[in-house]
Amino acid sequence: MKHSGLADSARPFAEYTEVRSQENRSSQISLLNGDVVSNGSGTQSGVSARVHKNGVWGFASSPEKDRAALRSCVERATANALFLASKEGRDAGLLPSRPGTGDHDLASGSPGRSKSELVEFMRDLDAHCAKSLPGLASRSLGLSRLDMEKTLATSDGADSWSLIPRTLIFVSLTLAARGEPIELYDVFGGLGSFEDVFSEPSALYGRLDLLAERLRQKARGVYAKPGTHDVILDADLAGILAHEAIGHTVEADLVLGGSVAADYLGQPVASPLISLTDFANDALGRRCPVPVWVDDEGIEARDAVIIDRGVLSSYMHNKESAAHFGAEPTGNARAYGFSDEPIIRMRNTAILPGQSSLEDMIAGVDRGYYFLRPSNGQADSTSEFMFGVTMGYEIRGGKLGPAVRDCTVSGVAFDVLKTVSAVSRDMSWTAAGMCGKKQSIPVGMGGPAIRCRMNVGGRA
Amino acid sequence: MTDRADGMDVVRAALKELKDAGADQAVASLTRGEKSELNVDSGRMSLYRTTANVSIGVMALVGSRKGSVSVNDASPEAIRTAAKEAVATARAGRPDPANGISPARELERFSRGQDKPDSEAMYARLREFVDYAGREYPDTMLEQCVLDFVAVDTFYANSNGAEFAERDGAYDFSAMFTTKKGGRASSFNSSGASHLSLDTPLAQWGTLDRLMRESAASLDARPVDRAFKGDLILTPDCLGDFLSFLDDAYLGDYALITGNSPWKKKLGRRVLSPLVTVRSEPNGPRVELGYGYTGDGFRAENCSIIEAGRLESFTLGLYGSNKTGLPRCPSGGGAVIMEPGGTPYTDMVASVKRGIVMSRFSGGSPSKNGDFSGVAKNSFLVEDGRIIRPLAETMVAGNLARLFNDVRAVSKETVSFGSSILPWVLCGGVHISGAVKGRGA
Repeated sequence: MKHSGLADSARPFAEYTEVRSQENRSSQISLLNGDVVSNGSGTQSGVSARVHKNGVWGFASSPEKDRAALRSCVERATANALFLASKEGRDAGLLPSRPGTGDHDLASGSPGRSKSELVEFMRDLDAHCAKSLPGLASRSLGLSRLDMEKTLATSDGADSWSLIPRTLIFVSLTLAARGEPIELYDVFGGLGSFEDVFSEPSALYGRLDLLAERLRQKARGVYAKPGTHDVILDADLAGILAHEAIGHTVEADLVLGGSVAADYLGQPVASPLISLTDFANDALGRRCPVPVWVDDEGIEARDAVIIDRGVLSSYMHNKESAAHFGAEPTGNARAYGFSDEPIIRMRNTAILPGQSSLEDMIAGVDRGYYFLRPSNGQADSTSEFMFGVTMGYEIRGGKLGPAVRDCTVSGVAFDVLKTVSAVSRDMSWTAAGMCGKKQSIPVGMGGPAIRCRMNVGGRA
Repeated sequence: MTDRADGMDVVRAALKELKDAGADQAVASLTRGEKSELNVDSGRMSLYRTTANVSIGVMALVGSRKGSVSVNDASPEAIRTAAKEAVATARAGRPDPANGISPARELERFSRGQDKPDSEAMYARLREFVDYAGREYPDTMLEQCVLDFVAVDTFYANSNGAEFAERDGAYDFSAMFTTKKGGRASSFNSSGASHLSLDTPLAQWGTLDRLMRESAASLDARPVDRAFKGDLILTPDCLGDFLSFLDDAYLGDYALITGNSPWKKKLGRRVLSPLVTVRSEPNGPRVELGYGYTGDGFRAENCSIIEAGRLESFTLGLYGSNKTGLPRCPSGGGAVIMEPGGTPYTDMVASVKRGIVMSRFSGGSPSKNGDFSGVAKNSFLVEDGRIIRPLAETMVAGNLARLFNDVRAVSKETVSFGSSILPWVLCGGVHISGAVKGRGA
């Protein structure tokens, strides 16, 4: 429910002020080998205020949400800003303004399922896994739901409310192979309430069967050979490449902090086949996994075109970095919880689809790898990145060979992207990402399959 | 944070609500805290942040069915609603005889550190650090530094009569930095530590000064020339990550409940090099920031995890212990100390024929069988006993158990991070490769 009267609290003060009321509602059910090992819910709610004074910020938050708590937050944030400004203040000029307004409610209109029904839904999936792949060493399944509800007002006129739900099911299966546990996992779901994302358990059976079959292949798999190889990254890996390898280096706060991308604006950084955008809310005619219409500084959110046909064209900005670079703010300032300050975060970062077919791309590789599933990833200010690969295949003579065990791929992003020789015409999004830059926050990642050269870590 | 109701009264009242709602057994916990935080972004102080929060968690067992709810509202109405919700959730779940709660224990209170931050001292120490970094390492950019003070009261009570209360007030500092000069840039690095006071300059916390010095010397990093099997020196920062990996793959609840841990039948047997001794000492006195009680409601007791390579304890909690029939970890598994060895760090480096010193591992989570692979960040090539040059685009791969079985030396020197104390460790037999042209798959 929209927090009424918030805008009144932001406007009477002399300094630029933001006030936010937020409630994060989460729930989770976890099954381990059929046992319900966790079944719970949580709510974190409160109000916060942030004040800008002479180039520095003051922030304060409270778990209470009444008018007195809100006023207290504004006063404390103001005092904090004044404290720091008295010691570190500078002539900073005005922050840019493009106040966003509007309400966005993406919660389901359908009646919710009961706790018992949700537990039984998960038990049904678990039973199918056990039946689909007899001899599993372990099964781990989890249902995770998060509703983020925010009301925001700023002293320059932003006034917005949003309720964004996300529902995910995690499935991890382990098989013993030659006495060693071999694991593979997948994630289903994304933007929306449970009722809008999932229907019946049987609708997921096909994907669970595919997971089981790939696990069988992986258990018989080989180790990747270390070195630099021709590699096809499927959509999930292209998405994490877009996020980790490029996205972080072009967040304007990291550019100011020493990212190598500071030297490349307007320069070719990738093959002309590569275009990359951080989408605000809709992309290519579809709603993005993590839509943002008004960011947590009250900026009306717009797409940030990062790479346009191989040329680095812009960064992702908050108000302060936009002022520094003389750019338009992009609406990338986001906060995870009510007590978090907004910082520059990605929203829905994707490489745009190209013209090739995946089959032709594979056929064009004599010796290399086709990687399908990532685990975690990290990036560096140098644009050197790594991410784990949990599912992939060798390519020999243009055909898929045996599956490969877990490995890690790495490279210098602005070098690797120059080696891209094909981009598929298909594209898919993953909605399960959590980015851990100071605060952990949901992000969307997407892309087509791309063919490039990349370092593969393995056993010599 | 002290001007409200006694937290023990709040959790006792929550227990009553749980019992009234129909719980057969119950747990209630309350956390109340305030944080004061100063931030440096891109080399300049940017934000002063103060946050307050409260969190109440209630857990109900109906028979052996479990349900839990947490809310950040400790009002009687909110607690009553949460208790009813927890009981309803439990009733919707499935029976599991492994669910349980800790036995009765008379209320015990713990306290460490200060109640309130010294804001002027925080500012002065942070300003001193920024000035020091600018003076000593002029090409090193402080991407982000966070100095905070967190004062937190926690309260625990369960329906068996176990009760604990703990107050902590501690400073935590972390810094992330990179060096850039003339179009060349080092990898970013970060580290930090926690302490009960600000008596020591921040640059001396943990390994920060050493890492900034290494960052400044890492502008001309390049890959190793060829793939080889060599030695790996894990620095204290990196060792902390690898001990966590070891815990996840071999020692913890998930690994043992699933049966995936290769060590599930090796309690009391040698599993690692005799040079490896790892203890968990939340009860002090060596670890500055320990804790008084475990998350599942037991008094935290110091214990040995690995003693001279022999597996002394898993890190199982109560549920994992009940589920597997293996002993519960009396310490809760935190406040880790790896005991030092007898080798000075310089002698350790001198003994390496060909290998690397790795300060940060950027890699995928190790596989369930302990296999790991990733990028050696902020690392240096060692040849014939000398540190030769900084590395970039260099990958390492191996197996956790084999890595810690192949330990050849543990340093005499250790580093206290406040919540752990760790040395340097020299291991052999690691696959090391650079970004060179491969032979194809």
